[in-house]
Amino acid sequence: MDKDYILHKWMNDEASIDEIEQLKSSPDYALYMEIAEASTQFEAPINDVEANFDAITSKIKANIKVRKINPLFTILKIAAALAIIFASYVYFDSSNTTIRTQIAEKQNFLLPDNSEVALNSNSAIEYNKNKWSEQRELTLDGEAYFKVTKGNTFKVNTSAGVVTVLGTQFNVYSRDDAFYISCYEGLVSVTLKDTIIKLPAGDKLMIENGNLLLHNTKIRTKSPSWTANESSFNNAKIALVLEELKRQYSIKLTAKFNGTDHRFTGSFTHSDLNLALKSICNPLHLAYTIEEESVTIYAKEGK
Amino acid sequence: MEQSDDICKESVFQRVYNDLNKEVWRFIYYKCGDSAQADDLVQDAFIKLWNNCAKTPIGKAKSFLYTITMNAFLNQIAHKKVVLNHAKLQSSGIDNESPDHVLQQKEFYEKIQTAIANLTEGQRTAFLLNRIEGKKYAEIAELLNLSVKAVEKRMSLALKTLRKEIGNI
Repeated sequence: MDKDYILHKWMNDEASIDEIEQLKSSPDYALYMEIAEASTQFEAPINDVEANFDAITSKIKANIKVRKINPLFTILKIAAALAIIFASYVYFDSSNTTIRTQIAEKQNFLLPDNSEVALNSNSAIEYNKNKWSEQRELTLDGEAYFKVTKGNTFKVNTSAGVVTVLGTQFNVYSRDDAFYISCYEGLVSVTLKDTIIKLPAGDKLMIENGNLLLHNTKIRTKSPSWTANESSFNNAKIALVLEELKRQYSIKLTAKFNGTDHRFTGSFTHSDLNLALKSICNPLHLAYTIEEESVTIYAKEGK
Repeated sequence: MEQSDDICKESVFQRVYNDLNKEVWRFIYYKCGDSAQADDLVQDAFIKLWNNCAKTPIGKAKSFLYTITMNAFLNQIAHKKVVLNHAKLQSSGIDNESPDHVLQQKEFYEKIQTAIANLTEGQRTAFLLNRIEGKKYAEIAELLNLSVKAVEKRMSLALKTLRKEIGNI
């Protein structure tokens, strides 16, 4: 029989007399037994039962006291915390950042992800700074040029449609019924009601009154001309050109000529009103007068 | 059990304390060898028991206390020597022994005492629970959350270590 097994049996008071004799016959195990036997003679120090119990009850009572006051405080604390969270949520959630340009004013700025925006005159962009990291989305009214850093979908909402991109450079023009998108780099996706149009780099999309006017118009510049203080037009309605002129110069404009469906191809500068008016009027055989802030354009006589 | 066993009742809680505090205290003392630390651990364990009185049936109180003290001890680092008393030894009169033998005996016990103090915490706890508290292996296994085999191993190792330290007499 395995002596270790018997030893353990003996330690559990389960060994028979025979087995004990068997163990004792071995000097090794006899010594084990002697040590084990001697060990039972020891005692742990005596702990102070009463003092410990007193300590326990006093600690428990201290806890109970705190507890009795606690529920009200806890509720108040939770309520206060919730109120703050709610208030800040409402505050931050509604704290949209709006950037607006006046007539004859342009503005360049960075979005929270360092995407660049150039905002043309009399335009506005609204976005939520706090949600920007989750959702790159802004609302545009007017015209703006974007250099979007790579990342999540970048969304430009306009009244006419939605432009979504991943990382690219593009220009959006959304005024009245006209909705023009020019893509300078990357790929732009334009959503119009239920149509989605993919616009590759170098292409321009022109939509007027919700109708696709021009597609696959190539753009040759590296960025929109207006960012270089010049407005360019390609076969644009004269009314549109004059609207743009009014945005770039704070003038009162009176058009005294027939044929509002004149179409204009060309550009005008933003820095010299005289020059700009010449650029517009000459090709269309129009004339103009400037009186302080009033500009009148009329048809050239003798024609 | 005819008596109420709701630990949330103060009388029941006190009864549980009276039944169990000594053995839990000793158990933790065998581990840490520090009376003050054992006091703290036992107090904390009973306070936790009180705080969880509704969730703990009276039958589970013992294992609850052991587990709590054991876990709390694992979180504390204290390696004091376990000092055991000779109370029993001194009281058990040894009349008809020669002075020489008495001296030898005394030396033997002192050696055992030192050797026990030098055991690893795991071996010592198992060994003393069996030797001093008279607990069976199965019970120790349950308290320490071990298998009976593991307890056997600890006991064998403890005895071997003790024998080695004591040497031949």
